Amino acid sequence: MKTVKVGFIPLIDAAIPIAAVECGFAEREGIQIELVRETSWANIRDKLIHDLFDASHMLAPLAVTTSLGLGNAKVPLAVPFGLNANGNCITLSARLYRAMEEVLGHPPLDARQSAQALKRVIDKRKASGEPPITFGVVFPFSVHAIIVRHWLRLGGIDPHNDVQFLVVPPPFMVANLSEGVIEGCCVGEPWNSRAVESGVGSIVVFGAEISRCAPDKVLALRDEMAAKEPEAVHRLLRAYRAAARWCQNQENHANLAHMLAQPQYINVAPKTVLNALSGMLAVNRTEGRSMPDFLRFEGDEINRPDPRKARWLYAEIANGLRQNLNTSQAEAAACVFRPDLFDTATGNNALPESQDPIGLKFGPAFDSNNLQGYIDALRG
Amino acid sequence: MTDQASILIIDENHVRAAIIQEGLREAGHVHVRWLNETANLLKHIVDIDPDIIVIDLESPNRDVLEQMFQVSRLVRRPIAMFVDQSDSASIRDAMLAGVSAYVVDGLKKERVKHILDMCVQRFQVFSRLEEELHEAKTALADRKVIERAKGILMTAKSLSEQDAYAMMRKAAMDQKRRLAEIARAIVMAEGMLK
Repeated sequence: MKTVKVGFIPLIDAAIPIAAVECGFAEREGIQIELVRETSWANIRDKLIHDLFDASHMLAPLAVTTSLGLGNAKVPLAVPFGLNANGNCITLSARLYRAMEEVLGHPPLDARQSAQALKRVIDKRKASGEPPITFGVVFPFSVHAIIVRHWLRLGGIDPHNDVQFLVVPPPFMVANLSEGVIEGCCVGEPWNSRAVESGVGSIVVFGAEISRCAPDKVLALRDEMAAKEPEAVHRLLRAYRAAARWCQNQENHANLAHMLAQPQYINVAPKTVLNALSGMLAVNRTEGRSMPDFLRFEGDEINRPDPRKARWLYAEIANGLRQNLNTSQAEAAACVFRPDLFDTATGNNALPESQDPIGLKFGPAFDSNNLQGYIDALRG
Repeated sequence: MTDQASILIIDENHVRAAIIQEGLREAGHVHVRWLNETANLLKHIVDIDPDIIVIDLESPNRDVLEQMFQVSRLVRRPIAMFVDQSDSASIRDAMLAGVSAYVVDGLKKERVKHILDMCVQRFQVFSRLEEELHEAKTALADRKVIERAKGILMTAKSLSEQDAYAMMRKAAMDQKRRLAEIARAIVMAEGMLK
């Protein structure tokens, strides 16, 4: 049986590769997965491109930037499977949240109101010469940074000039919030809940409030591996597909929570994992919130890698880097997402759904045929 | 020969950092600094303004350095490269040893390679030391549990020390398991039967 070495970061959205191993889906497809836990996305990328991993759990934008050479390496990658949609939150420091409550006279009720309240706090701080607010994100190229920018725009805040972004690894997020190095962050679970439990922060926005189906983590391979070992890739994809269905099924959530919570995987309390799976989180010390779509693992619009999503990621990355749109790079980005591999492996014949592949709930509508128009609208 | 390039080592492991610093100084690098403070890392790096950054791979902080590839308000002098991407073999060696290096300004490739090679070597020395320590600890723990199990067998079955040992030895050989594993099973069983 062929063995593939698969890297992962201890996060809840590594559920599919972990379940593929633990529930025997991989074995059933005739492939053996050796999971290797990693500590940073940079390690993941470098071990994948230098052949120490065959495949990996990866931030969707990182697969695109690595293929295009926009980060510090340029190696063509292939994304044949999406691992999840959403699951991240925006959490603010207790002090910043209180300042927002003060300007509103009550706690913010939704994403728009919280962004508008933040705008007023930022304006006040600017007027009194205070330093700008810094947001912690998990990587320069991450859907986390994109989500924060969309939310800021919702309140009329300029993401490039009114705030700063700082990369903070998730395990250090709460400490940085507590020490005031950052005053807000966008990160997956369990880190938001940790901030709430310790009284350091309040969750103000669930990622699912910003978009329906923005790609978060994906399965990434070297392009070369996809070409040379199609059989192994197909087996892997079928195992992932079965695992995705199993992970999405609510009846399995208690089992999945225990599985992921184990020391060799995420190493947290099963209850914490279960909260994220069920989308029921304490957002501050007194309130809880529930959103059934908080984190999704399964469905064609999540698992089947739609090249339009890669184009969206490219547009957002170019916007984040304040670069002009480059048509050949946009095309190269689209080629990173490989629905052909997914379709061949799973026997899927369905054409991509015609609806908007990202489902942004605010701001400019995304049209994959008019990236320039989209970027212009973002820069408004 | 002294080298004026300033090198920053980011490693939370004190012993390993000391081993690397020593190696670099011996090789003539006089400007070597060590940072074990990981809070506000980017600000510390910008303040220290090194030419080369050496970081261990166990720390999630490697992702913080990724931000330094672009100039921003927070980063004045960007990282020019993460070692030499075309030299896959040496990157793999470094990764396997658990270290990586970044070049902040246009230093010559050969000088960087020399520094990285030195760090890789020192990381390997450290891993070997750690392994040896681990082995020594395991051996000690094994000896202790084997002694205990032997005592249990001697009492329970009125055996001589030699016969008790021979019995465990035979069980280990029959079951193709380590002697210490058999001993642990005996100790555990005794605890449960008490």
